[in-house]
Amino acid sequence: MSSKRFRGLAGYVLAAPAAVLAVAAFYLPWVSFIVNDKLFSTLTGRHIAAGTVIQKGSGEIVFRGSVMNHFILVVAAVTFLSLIVAWQRRRLVLWDGLALAILGAMGFFGILSGFGVASRKAGIAGVDMEMTYGMALALLASLLIFVAGVWNTVAVTREDPSVKGTLGAWGFMAPTAFLVMVFFFIPAFILFILSLTDLSSSNFSEPWHFIGLENYRRMFSDRFFPKILGNTIRYVSLTLIFFNVGMALVLALLTSHIRRRAGFFFRMIWLLPRITPSVVYIVMWRRMVQQPPYGIINQVLGWLGVEHQPYWLNEQPWLFVILVNGFVGASFGMLIFSSAIESIPKDLFVAARVDGASTWQIVRDITLPLIKWPLLFVTSYQTLSLLVSFEYILLLTNGGPGLFTTEVWALTSYKRALFTYFGTNQWGYGAAWGLVLVVIAIVASVVYLRVFRFDELVQEPKIDVL
Amino acid sequence: MKVELVNLTKRWGDVVGADGINLTIEHGEFVAFLGPSGCGKTTTLLMVAGIYKPTAGEILFDGKVVNAVPPKDRNIGMVFQSYALYPHMTVFQNISYPLKLKKVPKEEMQKRVQRVADMMGIGHLLDRKPAQLSGGQQQRVALGRALVKEPQLLLFDEPLSNLDARLRLSMRSEIKRLQIDLGITSIYVTHDQVEAMTMADRVAVMKDGKLQAFSPPDELYERPKTLFVAGFVGNPPMNFFDVEVVIENGEYHARGVGIDLVVPAERGEKAVGRGKVIMGVRPEHVSLADEGASGVINIVEPLGRDDLIDVRIGETDVQLLVEPGLGLRIGDHVKLHFDTENVQFFDPDTEKSLLW
Ligand SMILES: Nc1ncnc2c1ncn2[C@@H]1O[C@H](COP(=O)(O)OP(=O)(O)OP(=O)(O)O)[C@@H](O)[C@H]1O
Ligand SMILES: [Mg+2]
Repeated sequence: MSSKRFRGLAGYVLAAPAAVLAVAAFYLPWVSFIVNDKLFSTLTGRHIAAGTVIQKGSGEIVFRGSVMNHFILVVAAVTFLSLIVAWQRRRLVLWDGLALAILGAMGFFGILSGFGVASRKAGIAGVDMEMTYGMALALLASLLIFVAGVWNTVAVTREDPSVKGTLGAWGFMAPTAFLVMVFFFIPAFILFILSLTDLSSSNFSEPWHFIGLENYRRMFSDRFFPKILGNTIRYVSLTLIFFNVGMALVLALLTSHIRRRAGFFFRMIWLLPRITPSVVYIVMWRRMVQQPPYGIINQVLGWLGVEHQPYWLNEQPWLFVILVNGFVGASFGMLIFSSAIESIPKDLFVAARVDGASTWQIVRDITLPLIKWPLLFVTSYQTLSLLVSFEYILLLTNGGPGLFTTEVWALTSYKRALFTYFGTNQWGYGAAWGLVLVVIAIVASVVYLRVFRFDELVQEPKIDVL
Repeated sequence: MKVELVNLTKRWGDVVGADGINLTIEHGEFVAFLGPSGCGKTTTLLMVAGIYKPTAGEILFDGKVVNAVPPKDRNIGMVFQSYALYPHMTVFQNISYPLKLKKVPKEEMQKRVQRVADMMGIGHLLDRKPAQLSGGQQQRVALGRALVKEPQLLLFDEPLSNLDARLRLSMRSEIKRLQIDLGITSIYVTHDQVEAMTMADRVAVMKDGKLQAFSPPDELYERPKTLFVAGFVGNPPMNFFDVEVVIENGEYHARGVGIDLVVPAERGEKAVGRGKVIMGVRPEHVSLADEGASGVINIVEPLGRDDLIDVRIGETDVQLLVEPGLGLRIGDHVKLHFDTENVQFFDPDTEKSLLW
């Protein structure tokens, strides 16, 4: 056994029981509380969740877990398991130690602050709050995890000097990681917790009632769930294919093959909807589709001798939902694609022509492969922004006409959570809808990265680490 | 393939790219387009390739006007200064791309690519992407791509400009050898006169979109038809003097400020009695002497094998090459001998040669 593996191992030997301890001490009461608080308190005679069980003045037991603590410890447990797997594969690496150290530290401070919050609340409720043995154990355990992590990191770094460069690289990534943490993972996690409650404007002054997956059950069994799902798929895919990527690509290709000035002019025109305030833009559309004698569409149809002149939003709601969004959406991709196309060296096009390629073959074999990365970027970015966008639909049809005709997922989520719907703002239920969107978005991004083989696009850096 | 350019012109509004170019390239000939930056070499080449549409004039391949024939039907191969390899394709895919477009069967494609790659000495690099090759290797791939479809006309646009001097030298002879072996009519654009002179059967010198001369390298050097060609071809460039040619005692004298040279009768008689003319003498025909025109050394530039010195005579700077190690200094007074066997005379207004 090499000394490196041995030294690394010492860290794990230390960390293993610590992690088990932390998870056990912190989670057993928590799990039991969900299953049956009575059972545990009958067995032990007291409530022993890690310092976060408080007794209300009325004698009711309420569980107040610090959101962060659970998060950290779940991650710690998962990480630890993966470390065991890694160790069995005989590959003890730097990340193991670093991850341990960070998680240990987070756990330690997380539990401490959790205790602070809980005891302050308990004080308000007039209940004495002690540090329970469970909490003390969890604190100790996270400290041990931290030490083990540092131990392991130092051991690996000593063993292999190139590790220093890697540490530097992670240093550069840290700010981004922090932002992603603060603006994505933490809100998503809060959303998740919220979705497990029945919090609404009718009961927000009470402590949260955790109702498990009830919100999700309710959502999936909603009579209009399939309709909304279908609407969302239709809205996102059609707008994306025909406008945000399709039309954007066509516009970019066209405007880069005509004279520069003219190309610039056309791009400007396509930018106008985007810089128009949403409300003004929608009011214009709503005016355009009016019945005679107001709507310009019907006026033109009249000149063309078409008898059928309905209120178009009722007649073809989807057509207009997609047009309205697409006209705004196309300009983003168009700008990105046309600058990407402009940056392809002109010689490549000349070479391809001489090699015998037709215009279509040049687009297919040269242009598209060379703007693969912008294509991936626009497709995934626009999918995600379409998934969560609903303001134009809200303003245009408000999900109608009739029931749920053009209502998409994000609009439902918005209405449930923040709209006085059936008399209340159902924050918990709305959060459940919202969280599903988050999950879909994550899955979609991963699929895109796979399909476009992102790793092949990212070339190895040419600068060697010295 | 025989290529004829008839009065070929390209303009973008006021900008003139090529201006009334007339020349004929024989089958199997290697022609260089030589000229300073912006003179219209690339423009002319791209018109031959079918990328640019001529504003006026005609391009004929084997006697047929091809102005309206698209590039893919012209059966040409082209090599660029930037190599213009497709960065997302491997070397194999790059070379085979023209064949793929022609729908050549897979097996034959494989064979032809391999043959060309072996010929270019890049057979072992077929799986690499262009970014993983050196400049020289990339240029070989580009050459392979141009050759693989067995074109009848090869177009080169400064293919060696991005290579280092040594590699340029070896690629130069390699391209020349290939061209002779394959016998493909070739047009080679360059602003490097050594390249043009050493490789080409005939050199077309261009300036401001106009064809200045079109002749074999030695003729270009010895019998320049215009002042521009005389000054552009040759390194260091030809020395020019403002002189007047007169007859005295049956001898032709070229007289200017500070010089008075006897010139051969058959050259002198064409310049005599025309008032001021421009006389050109190549640096290798000027030497240090005990007798002759006297001047002051302006510049001494050691070149290694020789020293290039610049001597001021009257109001003209004369450049000449001397043996190194003579200990010449700036400000030294020297006397110069002019070998007038090969002097040139030009009309100062039309800038055309008075001799040829
Ligand atoms: N697409 C174009 N639009 C307008 N003017 C152009 C265009 N292409 C070339 N020109 C102009 O035509 C003239 C000739 O250009 P060209 O590219 O043929 O020069 P060149 O001889 O190849 O020069 P270099 O040795 O620098 O490559 C230049 O003045 C150039 O600015
Ligand atoms: Mg050029």
